[in-house]
Amino acid sequence: MKLLKPSWVNHNGKPIFSVDIHPDGTKFATGGQGEDSGKVVIWNMAPVLREEDERNENIPKLLCQMDNHLACVNCVRWSNNGLYLASGGDDKLVMVWKRAAFIGPSTVFGSSSKLANVEQWRCVMILRNHTGDVMDVAWSPHDVWLASCSVDNTIVIWNARKFPEIVMTLKGHTGLVKGLTWDPVGKYIASQADDRSLKVWRTMDWQLETNITKPFSECGGTTHVLRLSWSPDGQYLVSAHAMNNSGPTAQIIERDGWKTNMDFVGHRKAVTVVKFNPKIFKKKQKNGSTPKPSCPYCCCAVGSKDRSLSVWLTSLKRPLVVIHDLFDKSIMDITWTLNGLGLLVCSMDGTVAFLDFSQDELGDPLNEEEKNAIHQNIYGKSLAITMESQLSSTIIENPEMLKYQQERQGNQNPNEAQGIGPENQTPKLTNVLNGESLEDIRKNLLKKQVETRTADGRRRITPLCIAQLDTAGTAAVNSIGMKSNLLLTSASKIEPMKALDSRFTERSKAMPGVTSVPLTIGITPLDRVKDSSSVKEPKGKDETSSDSEDKIMVKSIAKRKGEMEGAEVVEKRKKGRPRKDAKTMPFPQVTFLLSKDPSRLTTPIAVLKLPTPSIQKSFSTQVSTDGVTYLEVENEVSVVSGSRLSQLKWSREGREWDVLLPSRIIIAAGSSNVVAVACEDRTLSVFTACGRRLIPSIILPVPMSALHCSGHFVMALTASAMLSVWDVQKQTALVKNESLNPILSGTDATVSQSFLTQQGVAVVSLSNGKTYCFNSSLETWNLIADKQDSLVQCTDFRNCVSAQDALGSMGPLALTQGRNLSAGRLASRLSSTPHHLQQGMTLAFLEKQLSSALILLSASEYRHWLLIYARFLVNEGEAVREGQCHCSQG
Amino acid sequence: MAKVQVLNVAVLDNPSPFGNPFQFEVTFECMEDLPEDLEWKIIYVGSAESEEHDQTLDSVLVGPVPAGRHMFVFQADAPNTALIPESDAVGVTVVLITCTYRGQEFIRIGYYVNNEYTDTELRENPPLKPDYGQLQRNILASNPRVTRFHINWEGCAEKMEDSENVDPAPNSMLPPSCTPGKAPPLGLLPDNSMDCL
Repeated sequence: MKLLKPSWVNHNGKPIFSVDIHPDGTKFATGGQGEDSGKVVIWNMAPVLREEDERNENIPKLLCQMDNHLACVNCVRWSNNGLYLASGGDDKLVMVWKRAAFIGPSTVFGSSSKLANVEQWRCVMILRNHTGDVMDVAWSPHDVWLASCSVDNTIVIWNARKFPEIVMTLKGHTGLVKGLTWDPVGKYIASQADDRSLKVWRTMDWQLETNITKPFSECGGTTHVLRLSWSPDGQYLVSAHAMNNSGPTAQIIERDGWKTNMDFVGHRKAVTVVKFNPKIFKKKQKNGSTPKPSCPYCCCAVGSKDRSLSVWLTSLKRPLVVIHDLFDKSIMDITWTLNGLGLLVCSMDGTVAFLDFSQDELGDPLNEEEKNAIHQNIYGKSLAITMESQLSSTIIENPEMLKYQQERQGNQNPNEAQGIGPENQTPKLTNVLNGESLEDIRKNLLKKQVETRTADGRRRITPLCIAQLDTAGTAAVNSIGMKSNLLLTSASKIEPMKALDSRFTERSKAMPGVTSVPLTIGITPLDRVKDSSSVKEPKGKDETSSDSEDKIMVKSIAKRKGEMEGAEVVEKRKKGRPRKDAKTMPFPQVTFLLSKDPSRLTTPIAVLKLPTPSIQKSFSTQVSTDGVTYLEVENEVSVVSGSRLSQLKWSREGREWDVLLPSRIIIAAGSSNVVAVACEDRTLSVFTACGRRLIPSIILPVPMSALHCSGHFVMALTASAMLSVWDVQKQTALVKNESLNPILSGTDATVSQSFLTQQGVAVVSLSNGKTYCFNSSLETWNLIADKQDSLVQCTDFRNCVSAQDALGSMGPLALTQGRNLSAGRLASRLSSTPHHLQQGMTLAFLEKQLSSALILLSASEYRHWLLIYARFLVNEGEAVREGQCHCSQG
Repeated sequence: MAKVQVLNVAVLDNPSPFGNPFQFEVTFECMEDLPEDLEWKIIYVGSAESEEHDQTLDSVLVGPVPAGRHMFVFQADAPNTALIPESDAVGVTVVLITCTYRGQEFIRIGYYVNNEYTDTELRENPPLKPDYGQLQRNILASNPRVTRFHINWEGCAEKMEDSENVDPAPNSMLPPSCTPGKAPPLGLLPDNSMDCL
């Protein structure tokens, strides 16, 4: 056995309440007290396992620290599949953590240690239900449930597939519940509490199976935790603190009849934690000797308030090893490596210890098959597989098996995997930054960020989202965050006055300007204590929390077995476990498939076809009349990982913004409120005048022919002669995919002009001089102007037009009819026509103008024509219509 | 737990002439969509001796804040020199960045600021009346002092009116007069006064 106290694993001297090794063995988590919060830290396992890795400065020791818990963290537990970490603390919360992909390393801002978080673990779920400190959490086999227990005397079973759903709250304890353990078979969950009882609950109906009180009747509530444990074969449950003849014990409870005939005796103070080795062992077979069948046995580590640790084999009457004075304070938690040979112990004194056993000492671990066989022998197949119908016949007990199974599945359908791979992953990255590097963003952030004024005149900045909280998978981490750390402006050499310290509320003792000693320096080979060396511990040494290099407190290591004595240091395990990311799929080469040339798109052949603009390398348009606003488009401005990016730039009187789009821009249009662009990939993107994307890309069935914006309205005319108008502010469609068929059919005319009025009315002019607008309330096409209309040419209302009316005649109607309205052009030549005929034609024309102005919702033009109409009626003495005019004016 | 974590604050345009605006590029992360805006403030400590000379250079609302990692640049005009005691113009002082949510301050980031003349002649014989045009401002960007406060993220602070205009956590500071030139007595520093939980 080898023993190591890695001094670099610490919470700056604060107690460590919990420790748990990740199922893949590459990392472990500690939980405990932070500066003014609870703290969860994830550490790299390699430097604990291998001395050369510990010395190698390129191998990080601390992977991630999370200060999110408001108060001390009492328990950290990895899920069996290794994807999640659950933590429970004095803040009554259970947090579930997941590794975040795509977000690079970061530091805890302002913390004295400038160590970056190598991995990003993010709280994906906060489970709130307990009304008191959460003392222990436990994942059920197969991670179906997560159980948490609390000083509120309850145990909550959470649905781990559907957080934060609560499956059941187990009530019955009358004291603080301080420990939980699941039956490895999945049939029971056991809890131990300060009410001097250990309760076993059925998972079938969540009712109490048994309540064991006798071994605990003498116990007082003196321990912080009561972490009990179930043996891997399911046969034994071992309690934490129990009493037998006034002596502290760990009670062994047999599954069969819940008998309490045996216990682990020897600790001088209460047992705080019991942890079974996940492996079942069988006796090591000596070379040469005939293999004789031996009963498999389990291995169990017991930690106590007496600061000592004992390791027991169920095949031996006495402990395999007892280590006294391993810590200065009570042992709080124990965790085994999945291979069963390593053991991490943590203590209230803020340190951890690692024990490394050899197979000679513990025995040959059974493989999963043999373990399953034992389970099936004892419990039958149905139980061993529990209620997991979707699991195949083998129990996936560890990540390696899961990985293996995933690989096998992956091999079975490689085509499928490749087909969806790149496309699924590309958008994830581009979504956020649009392919722009963080550097570029930072350079122009001040200029680009959207700043508005609130109603009460305050500045309001819309922050730029640089990463979504994507916690999917553990894929490659990009280096975005890394750069930001390096960019911290370099230190200046100023000596601040200490009086100013009081202006900060931080309780930091550190002298400003003095860089804190990196934690990594404190590691010397001395820290590695071999079992043959015993270091005398000077009692009462100074209790500074600083990481002094030689803080080793190993006094004596009890050795039971002769063969351990003087033995050569057991050969270092060379193979180790594969690093977790070694096997993860390499990030697929980002390939962006440009959609096919729009002209070659196999869309259903439309009867009508409108021309689509050709793609230009760059173009610009002036959009808004109030304030000269330009839209500039530059296609293929840069190529990022194979995808060509196009840039849209907006500028108005010195202010400007730009956005990048993944496809070439065909048409751009804008108003003072919105900007819309149609891209080659048949998407339509709409932005506010401030450059914020209003809606996700609208997918069009066919390429765009014409695009207009006005106010908050966007009009799209597609190549298949379909018209749509949307109000992007209210997010409603005013015109839904309306065909131009009614106005185009039967003519050989084409669309010569189209536009959108300020009120969102779509107007389409044809090459035959006719202009139509779409009336969305009637859902009809209405003819609003016709240059060939003989009525127009014969009207005569010149004597009704006053000089100041000229201004009022500007508007969409005038636009369609042309500035120099041909009205009355022929009037003089028609002097021979009877007066009443001309009068009638003029009236008809004026009424047409009126209704057209009305349908175009053009108020000024309506007023303009109404005035002319009224004057005309007065002049001509048309009393009947005058009355009507009166009404309409009212 | 805090829904908003400040990941980094980069001090831009530093060192710079005294009259230049302050620019801080703030990167923060939000766990879930925030229904309300964050309010950021830059407070310039005019004099170490008294809070009277504190100036709020500017305050901005930042929002909307969906879940994710965000950044923005907070720019605020240089302090009004008329409010700075002449004796404190040159030398070291402090600039504070605070952020409040629903009227509750949850983070306070402090930087030391050194104002000094770049001209050696001026440095050796500083004029009685500070020449702000010649002063250079240097923010000790590498050493931010970050204090986090536990706040109630779900509801409002009970005393909204208190935290509206004044410095949100005045109680958490000691009167500077009691610690001139000495390290602050650690035990006396009150714990997070804004802790609502």
